[in-house]
Amino acid sequence: MKALIDALGPLWGSLAGIGLSLVYMVVVLLTVAFILWFDRKVWAAVQMRKGPNMVGPVGILQSFADFIKFVLKEIVVPSGANKTIFVIAPIITVVTSFLTWAVLPVAPGWVLSDMNVGILYILAVSSLGVYGIIMGGWASNSKYPFLGALRSAAQMVSYEVSIGFVIVCVLLVVGSLNLTDIVNHQKAGIWDWNAFAFIGALMHGGSPAKMGMAFVVGLILFAMSVVFFISALAETNRPPFDLPEAESELVAGYQVEYSATLYLLFMMGEYVNIVFMCAMISILFLGGWNLPWGEVTNPFLGFLVLYVKIWAMFFMFAMVKAIVPRYRYDQLMRIGWKIFLPTTLVCVAIVGAYVAFFGGNA
Amino acid sequence: MGIMQAIKGAAMTDFLGAFVLAMKVYFRRKPTVNYPFEKGPLSPRFRGEHALRRYPNGEERCIACKLCEAICPAQAITIEAEPRDDGSRRTTRYDIDMTKCIYCGFCQEACPVDAIVEGPNFEFATETREELFYDKDRLLSNGDRWEREIAKNIELDAPYR
Amino acid sequence: MAKIIVDGQELDVPGEYTLLQACEAAGAQIPRFCYHERLSVAGNCRMCLVEVKGAPKEVASCSQAVKDQRPGPNGEPPEVFTNSPRVKKARQGVMEFLLINHPLDCPICDQGGECDLQDQAVVYGSAESRFCESKRAVEEKNMGPLIKTVMTRCIQCTRCVRFVTEVAGVPELGATGRGGDMEITTYLNKALSSELSGNVVDLCPVGALTSRPYAFNARPWELKKTESIDVMDALGSNIRIDTRGADVLRVEPRVNDDVNEEWLSDKGRHACDGLRRQRLDKPYARKEGKLVPVSWAEAIEIFAKQLSGKPEKVGFISGDLNEVEGLKASLDLAKSLGIKNLDCRQDGALLDDSAGRGGYLFNSTVNGIEEADVILIVGANPRYDAPVLNARIRKAYLAGKLQNIALIGEDFDLTYPHAHLGDDVKALEELAKGKGEFAKILSNAEKPMIIIGSSALTRADGDKVAKLAAEAGAKAKIVKDGWNGWNVLHTAASRVGAMDIGFLPKDGGLTTYQMLGSKLDTIVLLGADEVVVPEGTFVIYIGSHGDNGAHRADLVLPAPAYTEKNGTYVNLEGRVQLGRMAVAPKGDAKEEWAIMRAVSQVIGKPLPYDTLEELRAKLKSDVPALNVAEGEIAPAIDFDLRFVGNDGVADKYKFSNVIQDYFLTNPIARASQTLAKCSAERRGVGANKVAAE
Repeated sequence: MKALIDALGPLWGSLAGIGLSLVYMVVVLLTVAFILWFDRKVWAAVQMRKGPNMVGPVGILQSFADFIKFVLKEIVVPSGANKTIFVIAPIITVVTSFLTWAVLPVAPGWVLSDMNVGILYILAVSSLGVYGIIMGGWASNSKYPFLGALRSAAQMVSYEVSIGFVIVCVLLVVGSLNLTDIVNHQKAGIWDWNAFAFIGALMHGGSPAKMGMAFVVGLILFAMSVVFFISALAETNRPPFDLPEAESELVAGYQVEYSATLYLLFMMGEYVNIVFMCAMISILFLGGWNLPWGEVTNPFLGFLVLYVKIWAMFFMFAMVKAIVPRYRYDQLMRIGWKIFLPTTLVCVAIVGAYVAFFGGNA
Repeated sequence: MGIMQAIKGAAMTDFLGAFVLAMKVYFRRKPTVNYPFEKGPLSPRFRGEHALRRYPNGEERCIACKLCEAICPAQAITIEAEPRDDGSRRTTRYDIDMTKCIYCGFCQEACPVDAIVEGPNFEFATETREELFYDKDRLLSNGDRWEREIAKNIELDAPYR
Repeated sequence: MAKIIVDGQELDVPGEYTLLQACEAAGAQIPRFCYHERLSVAGNCRMCLVEVKGAPKEVASCSQAVKDQRPGPNGEPPEVFTNSPRVKKARQGVMEFLLINHPLDCPICDQGGECDLQDQAVVYGSAESRFCESKRAVEEKNMGPLIKTVMTRCIQCTRCVRFVTEVAGVPELGATGRGGDMEITTYLNKALSSELSGNVVDLCPVGALTSRPYAFNARPWELKKTESIDVMDALGSNIRIDTRGADVLRVEPRVNDDVNEEWLSDKGRHACDGLRRQRLDKPYARKEGKLVPVSWAEAIEIFAKQLSGKPEKVGFISGDLNEVEGLKASLDLAKSLGIKNLDCRQDGALLDDSAGRGGYLFNSTVNGIEEADVILIVGANPRYDAPVLNARIRKAYLAGKLQNIALIGEDFDLTYPHAHLGDDVKALEELAKGKGEFAKILSNAEKPMIIIGSSALTRADGDKVAKLAAEAGAKAKIVKDGWNGWNVLHTAASRVGAMDIGFLPKDGGLTTYQMLGSKLDTIVLLGADEVVVPEGTFVIYIGSHGDNGAHRADLVLPAPAYTEKNGTYVNLEGRVQLGRMAVAPKGDAKEEWAIMRAVSQVIGKPLPYDTLEELRAKLKSDVPALNVAEGEIAPAIDFDLRFVGNDGVADKYKFSNVIQDYFLTNPIARASQTLAKCSAERRGVGANKVAAE
């Protein structure tokens, strides 16, 4: 894609870049719209309900109806609120959630910006998302939003640490910060996908010591994929870690005072982040656009494969929401700091030792 | 214990069990009733919107005995009475504040002539609060509108009284 | 005293007690319908059955005396069981028979909720009826505009018949037919001609006789009950005002054995609908010949300006229904302004407090009537002036001790036999000289009473008539140790209280007639509606109803009626009783004393009290006669018959009763539609209309 933009020259190239970004956004938003519906359907099914079924066939257009409803409603700004920050906060959330998509490759060769430090960029930008929530909570000039914002800040900061270590593990194994490289590292088949690399370790052979070590590292990566999934739940304020908006305690947390379009922006940002996290798991651990039995070189097929993986991951997100009760705040913090952080730290050390002793890529 | 628990936690057996259960439930038949298009069955004893009934000859049943007013735990009923021109005891005012009413059905239990009843209608939402202050005319017209259903319900429930 | 064992408890009761009374003395509850302690014993409902040891059947406890019971074989006292299974079964049987012909129309019956039959059916009634024949139905009877009849509900207890015959003294009710055909009816279906007819509604244990004006109005459980004092006559009957929301729905008597026992006059009972009509609800001032509403501030300003004129050109006349507090405030205001033209006798009665408090009280007290053996009534018609008091005289007559009653004045059916000594002053003059047969009877009497009424006192020579009566009394020694037979029968509830506080023309002040005749600048009418104020006088009317006074007035200030204020009333015996506020005053009405307080503030001589409590404290310290507990009479202080009235030559014309139309004597009564109907009925107008209803 970079080649295409380069070929068009600076002016048309930039325009094409903007156009491509728009296409990215539209696809992401459409995905979010249907994933929202899917979320509600899954949740309903587990609870033996039908879920949304009135708008369009089996209610598939529900999100669009909701969108229109939100847009048409009145934006209520509390009289004691800091109006500017109150309005800016959801915009920051939604903008940062979209920014991360810039470095995400969605198919072989399909990436807006094929940065060699893509992972760092993602870590940097996604951390900004917490600002939107803190600002929204603070600007509401209300107790529940403020408490919600504090919780969410603490929560996101805590889990970013373990997410960071998990990613470091993957980076050490792959040896690159470029997301395309990470996917290509897993192209051979499901046994080489980072989540299932322990199978590959047995298949690749080598000295018994190396094989054993590789197997251990594979198991660690599998564990890391689970930790990453759980941390992603916490990072995106999904149940069972939806404490910032825990309705039984905080009504709706930092969103209490938000209505109409501003609320929609928060909501959208959250779901864009969720979809992004699903994509990240797919890319980091589940082989990206590669099929379980081999490499995919056709970008269209690759995109389709990744898309299916994103939906499958989201199904897990939805199921977790449906079946796991909400954690207490102290439990949340305990898992983050006392279990995930030491575990991932040890794992990083082990994987680092493996890379140092057996050199190069796994 | 601690170690076992840690292993159990790490293996996420709880989650997996719940996941399997959820997937079992996932494909069951949904009991959802598609409300505005489908409605659940109503018991003859269902206590919905109030109505004042009439006798078949058009004479209103209510005799202003005020027992419903007395029994009403929410004090939602207000009655004023005086002799009608023919000397019979009738209400000049029969108001129910539907915003106060708790639909306990005591009024229809208290009524000696089955005049005030809670009919099967539960779809009487209004746009203003004032519309829920029912007066005698409104209640009588409710009675006229729902008489067939109400009479049926009373007949069905009669063997159990 | 006789011994009796009730439910195992032995007690000593007077031998003449009935078993029912003995059982009650033992604390047992005996159900009854026909028995009433103030009426003769009928023994026809059979509800009061008890088991007497040794008696073959259960006996009706209301009609057997304790002393007639047979003692046990070894001389033990007779034994009575009130709650044995046999008694219960017997009463259940009676109840079943009573309910055979009683309709199941409690929901439309006004007695519902306060019905003896209903209550006792809960205890003794069975859940199902075994009666499957057709029930009896009885035609309604006409009993006048006050009593609504549903005779199908009648259980033939005959309480009403006995009351009307014995207490009211108009034997117009009776039963026709026998057994199942027995019906209670008035003579030829005419309205009852008693002033106490309303009491049969209270007496009726079922819903056969109910109050017509109150018909279907309310249920007893909806009513707020306030204990107060009736002001329709000077007796001060104890009443209970039943209200719902802002309306007085009915007035019921309260038991007070010293005053009204448990009766109430029809006027006191049914004037309450007058409280809803023709009410003054905001101040009015006459501007360009028309009364227009003004603000209170403006009205008070006008009032203050009018009072600030020459004191000798200002007068106060009080009405008949005022409470003492309002009059006291008016009196204090008038005194502070040097106004001496004060009179509480708007009817022009010429009896003042010159002979001390005893000179204008009903000294023998109402209870004392039952001790009297001779009564001389001068210029009064107690049946209209105070119907309940008249019933007391009748009660004394029926008891047997009081057999000599004489009347000087317009003759009237007083419900008891009396000698008519004459209808002019001559008869009294002869009596004063000790001539005639009755003079002898009077002087031989142990406890003689002279009752002088307003028909005598309101004559132009009223003070001389009073003097004559007092002379006759002195001759017969009606005042002696432990007995004071000098009785004044007032007609106005406010009169005694007003005279107690000294609301009288003193130190050269003008009396009512003098005020009305002498073209004063300003006359303040404190609810006085029976006076005609001449043209040219500025009239300030303070009262509750738009009656004569308000029509004539140039400034109208609304005041609450007697049900709407807390006030002290002194009845004709001098008994201090408290009326209590049952409902809020209508509109902007303010209590009289508050008006006076406001005016005094504007004038610049504020009265020394800001609350009713402070006013009452002042009242008690100023007037020792009122400084007694509620319901008490201040002990008599020196009273001398010699100072009653004035010497002079009496006129020759005949006495005529002041109250010609019993039902329309005051503004509240005149505003009442019920009483208007009664009045029309009594005059013979509209009788057909009621019958057609």
